[in-house]
Amino acid sequence: MKERKTFAGRWIQDFLGICNHELRQIFSDWGVMLIFFVAGLGYPILYNLIYLNGILNDTPIAVVDEAACSESRDFIREIDATREVEVAYKCINIAEAQKLMQERKVKGIVLFPRDFGDRLARMETATLSVYADMSSFLYYKNVLMSTNFVMLDKVRSIQIERYGALGYTAQEASQLTQPLLYEENNPYNRAFSYNIFLVTAILLIMIQQTMFYGMSLLAGTQREKNHSFASLPDRLSGHGVSRVVLGRGFAYWLVYMAVGLYIAFIVPAIFGLPQRGDFKDILLLLVFFVTDCVLFSETWSVIISRRETIFVLFLAISPICLFLTGTSWPTVAFPGFWKYFSYLFPSTFGVQAFLNMNTAGGDLTSATTQIFALSVQTIVYYFLAYATLYAENWVINHERELAEVRQKIDEKRRLDRKKYTGLISGGEA
Amino acid sequence: MSVWKNIWTVIYREFVIIREHPIYLFGSVGVMLACCLFYFTFFKAGLPSDIPIGVVDMDNSSVSREFRRQIDATQLGRVISFDTFEEARLQMQKGKLAGICVIPSGMYDDLLSSRQPTMSMYVNGLYFVSGALSYKDLLQMVNLTNGAVQREVLRARGMTDSQIMGIIQPVNIDLHQIGNVYTNYGYYLCNILLPGCLELAIIIMVIYTLGMELKYSTSRHLMKVGGDSIITVLTGKMAVYTVLFSAIGLVLVIAMYHWLRFPLAGSIWNMFLDIILLVLASEAVGIFILACLPVPRLALSIGALYSVLGFSFSGFTLPIEAMPSWIQGLSEAFPLRHYYLFYVQEDIFGAGFAGWYREVIHLLLFFFLPLPVLLRLKNAFINQNFPKE
Repeated sequence: MKERKTFAGRWIQDFLGICNHELRQIFSDWGVMLIFFVAGLGYPILYNLIYLNGILNDTPIAVVDEAACSESRDFIREIDATREVEVAYKCINIAEAQKLMQERKVKGIVLFPRDFGDRLARMETATLSVYADMSSFLYYKNVLMSTNFVMLDKVRSIQIERYGALGYTAQEASQLTQPLLYEENNPYNRAFSYNIFLVTAILLIMIQQTMFYGMSLLAGTQREKNHSFASLPDRLSGHGVSRVVLGRGFAYWLVYMAVGLYIAFIVPAIFGLPQRGDFKDILLLLVFFVTDCVLFSETWSVIISRRETIFVLFLAISPICLFLTGTSWPTVAFPGFWKYFSYLFPSTFGVQAFLNMNTAGGDLTSATTQIFALSVQTIVYYFLAYATLYAENWVINHERELAEVRQKIDEKRRLDRKKYTGLISGGEA
Repeated sequence: MSVWKNIWTVIYREFVIIREHPIYLFGSVGVMLACCLFYFTFFKAGLPSDIPIGVVDMDNSSVSREFRRQIDATQLGRVISFDTFEEARLQMQKGKLAGICVIPSGMYDDLLSSRQPTMSMYVNGLYFVSGALSYKDLLQMVNLTNGAVQREVLRARGMTDSQIMGIIQPVNIDLHQIGNVYTNYGYYLCNILLPGCLELAIIIMVIYTLGMELKYSTSRHLMKVGGDSIITVLTGKMAVYTVLFSAIGLVLVIAMYHWLRFPLAGSIWNMFLDIILLVLASEAVGIFILACLPVPRLALSIGALYSVLGFSFSGFTLPIEAMPSWIQGLSEAFPLRHYYLFYVQEDIFGAGFAGWYREVIHLLLFFFLPLPVLLRLKNAFINQNFPKE
């Protein structure tokens, strides 16, 4: 009994010592501080400011009214009145409107052909042409939505007129034009606003990415100085790999629970993003997510042998992580390989769970799949982190043998590293 | 002619560095290959299809079943049936459904007796593309149903189909999508995301290569090789990366507009010009960041923070004019923004020189960015008086 207690005591002592050491490292490295605190605290605010309005209003369009009838004028007035579009120019012909579009003064053109009024008078189908600038899909969406809404509305009033001409009463006509009514609800994001779906996703990705970058910076620095944490188990006489993994991790966990609380609760509150979830549920998700991110970063930072390599190799992965969450491009349309690839990242599940609970207002049951996946990931990454640390420890202890192997390879390739070093540094360094 | 000789020596030295350290090729060619592989294959479908739409059929009549089948038959939608709205709502909250359509009980009866039943549609706006598309799909189906009912009534009155069309569709929209006829998200996003990745790789790589000279104290030797002229040194070093990244950029443009046949209204030669200007401007930004702050560890972090913003500030998803007015101006500080504006003129409108010459000037202005800080960089290279880590 006594022996077990001492083992537990030593374990905790080592654990806290390693954690303490790592915390000191974090707070004495400016590059890491910049990533953790300037990026971790400042970027959520910056992204919220960029996407503050979230939607595009009053997209300027040009109108070419060749029909010049009362119906077309009415149509134009109603398009102008929609939220999406503003009639900025009225042009005499399409060439003039085209020029405005190319000069980017308008993002769409609505053309009423000469026969528009005549066709309506003849009770035929009148066609109007809409041209949309596809350089941003929001322009297209706005132009299409506003003309579509106005068209549906106009269709109804014209239909009632025409049914009247066929001898139906007004009541009958209105029942006929809309035999099936509909009501539409977009409960979570009424106007398809960017800040609600995109910024919310970016927030959690920022937790994962800044942690990964910061931890890799530090791991790379320690490896350069031959102070790698992987040599720690030697001091613990070969044991204690898990102490190192967990002790180091706990340091980041502490820092990131603070950053995470700020990102998940305070930032949305500042910018009025929806916070429909229960505090306890989201806190629980945050614990799972941050724990997973810590072990994820510990595992993958093993690739980083020098401080600076992390950005050179892995900066471009951030936007990829964003797409892999499925908030913009739907998960059902992922090609098979990328679907499995997305399972590598905590952000895939973290963002989905956060959206479901925080933004859609679900309880824990709406995120059970994701939390289960995060737990599986955590366990797998724990063992992977354990294995990589073990492997690195082996490499450190076998450096001389490995150096010999490397030299043999160099000889085979006929590389003369000394000559090259002389060329690069002039023998000064 | 010793200047030329010095430049050659610097270039040769840079080749040796690249050969010695595989990271230079990983960081440029490797990163771009990986990004191309991802974005080209990820958006291969162009437009998603078979989006899950929940249907709660409380009517269970022949009409409601037909309606369900019709939604399922659209290219966009795939129907998942639910017995209660509660179940469907839970699935939507879990993000499994892009939309829900509730068919009220007695819909068939109400339709027949003109009592105008109300169908309820719910759309999940948290999953942007699928939500918007399911909304479009459901709206279209309801309007088609309305048309079908009217057609039956009018046929019973003995009208011909052409007369009927005039009544059920008095106004029609003929839509022209300029620059992307198929509403293809792959074309739309890859066109800017991939040059964005290139910008990011260049900025980081330039900071890295200059920063490593400081970190490993090889900069003094580099200056000696370059005849103590910072211009010579930068010319030599940047010549290598300009060639490398321009080659990547050209292959990227060829891949997009030639191999994968992205729509291009203008000329591919002008897109070559655009991407090369982007490469040069990004290099200038990289030099500027490192020269302002000749501490590699910090300069790289700042370069990373700066370059990821390029995607948002190019304004190709949420347009710049939708951002708060006091933040709009920041977009000018990103080469990718001007690349995008050039691309709009050339690729979407095919406007040619008159359309994009301003963007060329903007991108060229970035070249002046390193000038005020060149001396600072030179002193840092010679004195090595900044912290190395």
